[in-house]
Amino acid sequence: MRRVLRDNSLSLFFLLIFLASLMAQALVGHADFNNQQVAHQDPTVSVGRYVTSSAFLVDVMENWQSEYLQFTLFIVATVWLVQRGSTDSKPVDQVGTESDEKQMIGEHAKPDSPSWAKRGGWRLFVYSNSLVGVMATIWIGSWFAQLITGRIVYNAEQFDHNEAAINLWQYAGTSEFWNRTLQNWQSEFLAVASMVVFSIWLRQRGSPESKPVGAPHTTTGAEG
Amino acid sequence: MAWRFAIAIAAIAAVAGCGTSGDRAESSVVVERFYDAVRHDDGDAACAQLSAPAVKALESQSGQSCPSAVTQLDYEGGAIVRTQVFLTSASVDLRGGETAFLDREPEGWRISAVACEAQDGPPTELPMDCEVES
Repeated sequence: MRRVLRDNSLSLFFLLIFLASLMAQALVGHADFNNQQVAHQDPTVSVGRYVTSSAFLVDVMENWQSEYLQFTLFIVATVWLVQRGSTDSKPVDQVGTESDEKQMIGEHAKPDSPSWAKRGGWRLFVYSNSLVGVMATIWIGSWFAQLITGRIVYNAEQFDHNEAAINLWQYAGTSEFWNRTLQNWQSEFLAVASMVVFSIWLRQRGSPESKPVGAPHTTTGAEG
Repeated sequence: MAWRFAIAIAAIAAVAGCGTSGDRAESSVVVERFYDAVRHDDGDAACAQLSAPAVKALESQSGQSCPSAVTQLDYEGGAIVRTQVFLTSASVDLRGGETAFLDREPEGWRISAVACEAQDGPPTELPMDCEVES
């Protein structure tokens, strides 16, 4: 048991703090929602009703979609784009999908390689692109969920102002939808750019996100 | 697996806050009761369908009690053609061109604005002009 916890400590840690922060967001979001309701002379709601409502879900989904877009773009970009000196980049002379030998597929697969890595055809193609496929699917799904729940929240405010509701297509063209989307995108892209650039000159001893402390700034792709 | 997750997210989003058929039915009944009461000059019954802020606003604007003021206003009425619910707000459109807006209060749905009609310009962008509004 102790070994299982140690071997999976990274994912367990982040899952735990994800759950804790999601619950905290639910509580403060509920308080904020009810403050807004009172200010508009509208009725307040219970925590249970709030966390199952679009008011909570849109705030969750707008953040999820940007995180998964960040990963999708980063995974794809790092195949073809490089940053000399960065831990997050491949060596500059290895742009592209790399050789079968380096990727250990087909005849170059090892005995303990994943089964679809040993096979050819569509299975190899699907598995070779499974990471970006999953990330992109979750991104699209959560962005669509943001669209649906955002429209519901938007229309509730429309009614509060004695205005008519709009349909999904109309909502997709609103500044409200794109403000929610872009305010998340800009921070994600800045975070990735920061990591890529900072890792050139800064170090964190012991972290695989950093080069070894004594590694030259020009070293690319090395982990500490 | 990922596509199942994505579909699950979208499905949850689709049902969250859209308003159940019960919410739509109750909102429609409240509006029907209001217009029925107004037709029969029953001010008390009409005011019982209004939210507290709407009653207060009507009394403040008219200088009269709600039961006295509510039956003197100008209504088109008509059959209900559409009811929509989003979170704790609803709208009921009538065939005569009027719309009623409702809020879900602890005691049930109540009308926050009634006999609303679009002004010059799209009703999605400009507040409607209402005979009674909170």
